[in-house]
Amino acid sequence: MSAERDIRLAHVSKTFLARGTIFRALEDVSLTCEPASFTALIGPSGCGKSTILRLALGLDAADSGTVTIGGKPPRAATASGATGVAFQDAALLPWRNVEANIALPLDVLGKPRAEFRLRIKDLIHLVGLDGFEHALPGELSGGMRQRVSIARALVTNPGVLFLDEPFGALDQILRRQMNIELQRIWSEIRCTTLFVTHGIDEAVFLADRVAIMASRPGRITQVIDVPFARPRDRTLFTDPKFHKLNDLIATVLHGA
Amino acid sequence: MAPESAARRRLAGLRNLAVLLAVWELVGRLQLVASGALPAPSAILVRFWADLADYPPHVWSTIQSALLGFVIGNAIAIAAGILFVLSPLALRLARGINIAIFALPPIAIVPVLVLALSGMTPRVVLAALGCYFVTMTATVTGLTQVDARGIDLVRAYGGSAWSAMRLVQLRSALPAIIGGLRIAAPNAVLGAILAEFGGGGGRWGLGTYLIGSLGRGDPARLWGIGLAATAIAGLAYALFAVAGAAVIGSSRAVTVPTSASPSLAGSWSGNPAKVAALALASAILPLLLWWLLLKGLGIPDLIAKTPMGVIDYLFFAEAAPRAQERLLAALVQTLPITAVGLFAGLAFAFVLALSSEMFPAATRSLMPVALVTQTMPLVALTPLLVLLLGRGSAVTLWITISVTFFPSFVTIAQGLALVPRAALEVPRAYGASKLTELRLVAVPASLPYLFVALRLAVPRTLLGVMIAEWLATGTGLGNLLNQSRGYLDYGMIWTVAAVSVLLSVVFYQLVVIAERHTLSRLGMRTSE
Repeated sequence: MSAERDIRLAHVSKTFLARGTIFRALEDVSLTCEPASFTALIGPSGCGKSTILRLALGLDAADSGTVTIGGKPPRAATASGATGVAFQDAALLPWRNVEANIALPLDVLGKPRAEFRLRIKDLIHLVGLDGFEHALPGELSGGMRQRVSIARALVTNPGVLFLDEPFGALDQILRRQMNIELQRIWSEIRCTTLFVTHGIDEAVFLADRVAIMASRPGRITQVIDVPFARPRDRTLFTDPKFHKLNDLIATVLHGA
Repeated sequence: MAPESAARRRLAGLRNLAVLLAVWELVGRLQLVASGALPAPSAILVRFWADLADYPPHVWSTIQSALLGFVIGNAIAIAAGILFVLSPLALRLARGINIAIFALPPIAIVPVLVLALSGMTPRVVLAALGCYFVTMTATVTGLTQVDARGIDLVRAYGGSAWSAMRLVQLRSALPAIIGGLRIAAPNAVLGAILAEFGGGGGRWGLGTYLIGSLGRGDPARLWGIGLAATAIAGLAYALFAVAGAAVIGSSRAVTVPTSASPSLAGSWSGNPAKVAALALASAILPLLLWWLLLKGLGIPDLIAKTPMGVIDYLFFAEAAPRAQERLLAALVQTLPITAVGLFAGLAFAFVLALSSEMFPAATRSLMPVALVTQTMPLVALTPLLVLLLGRGSAVTLWITISVTFFPSFVTIAQGLALVPRAALEVPRAYGASKLTELRLVAVPASLPYLFVALRLAVPRTLLGVMIAEWLATGTGLGNLLNQSRGYLDYGMIWTVAAVSVLLSVVFYQLVVIAERHTLSRLGMRTSE
């Protein structure tokens, strides 16, 4: 079981051709996320964080190197329903209500919604949206939309979860709240998670280890382990050790 | 507040209509325009009442062929649109056929259709042809201009291109498709009437009725028929306008996509040999289709000219120099007025679309009146305009503007309406005026739609000019076509049809080149 839940990138490179100039988005990136681990990927804008995620999801293809999820190529892994994903923008379909948006991956994978009715109900409860089952995205606040997208990412009961700056558009207070909730949710499900973020504090709070990236060309410069015991709660945010680790990562980021 | 202002708006609309009718009545009673060419509304009503028993079979016949053509044409169009988005190769191959269907001025092929087909078929075919390209383009535009994040999401779960189509693209393309159907509906009516006008398919139909009444010189009856045709086209349009309003609210993207959409069309720029082969194949396909249809229908060579037949007629036959001379003389008359009409119609549509964003209330109260004049099927309008404006180039220009204006306006206004709320709110947050908001966000964001409008307008302009020439001015390509019909000059009939389609295709290609250039500079994709 657990062997099928790792994420492996080996010597991956990717260039883009943007308006005539070659842009080296990733150069020789290797990263392994062990089963049931939580890895945060942090770095400046445009360093290729999201590109790593898109490669792992099979949305783009690498120029060289290999990407596997549970030993399978990305397209095969995603098509088997082993993965879940939440994007920076909630990317909800405006004409589907909360329930139907959460059910979208099921529709894609051809799984009958009826069997997941209870699961969807549980997820709506888990992300704290009871009573909004039939609301349309246009009627929800930014934070609520993002909760829907997290619930949607979890609906297939994935072994591997990809989160691409899921709280990037939220304010700091809401973001903390969502961090604490994600921490709680993740402690229940423990799936292998790759979390792309701009925020040092949320990376440290949530992850087992933090992979730091630099840009031009995009590469991983250092991987730092986060030693704090789980379950973690809000008291961690005020812990001096937490801040020390934050400062260390900030130093590496700026030095890079 | 809202219901009250809605009521007030409706009241203003009614007031404008009442004022217009009163002025019209007065003008008609006093015979102020062209010595009675514009009869008073009451006189038209009286005439209509007297003719009432004549109408039902004509109206029913027109509706039947228009409806059948509408259903067939749009079903093919939507299926083709989906196919083209899923398969760039199919789009490439069908390009020639698409452009030819789109570019053919219906009037130019009426005589050809009547020669080649029998019974009601020319009417249905022309109505279907009138729908195909509009709906196909709208479908492709809607499917490709979709919020890319939704597609990413489906693909992130291993979904195929078809799942993305089914779950995301089709639904979000719905407003665009309905917008297409909205334009296609009056087109179908116009197509059916045009074919009736050209003598296809028996004694019933509003077009036949109109032709039969032309000689009687009774303006009130012509107006009655014209207004009846308008009412049918207008109702068809209104039906889809209401349907469009119902779906657009829930389809607008909730937020602005952060990244440029990935190209859905796929890139074929890689292998020049392959690109050239595809282009050649797509250019040959329509000619092949033309040849196959004629051979398949088994029409004698004397009546039905194949592509080779047309080339022979124009270049190698004994009378070729004479044919060339007549064709060139016609072209010299047709081309300049086409260019002028095209730009006037587009400019008018653009200004009105912008002002409908800026002064929604004022425009909405004028809209019913504009709609009535604009859904009036062109052919029904022409005899009336001739009565009003005489047989000079003024009438050509009016007809041309009135055919290009309507689809351009709908397309541009739709582009403006689809600009995401958040994008508009950015300049608004800096205290921008409505005008600045339009200039900075709405106009650039709707630029792809402006080009679509231009592409739509090109062949319609030629159609307008040719209809005016055929029915009113007695000059140019339209007249040549009409004359050749009279002389049973089959070679010239097919030649004019082919040349006018070719002309439209060339114009169209020029617009496409300009569009590619402009949009790629702005980092947008063409919807073609």
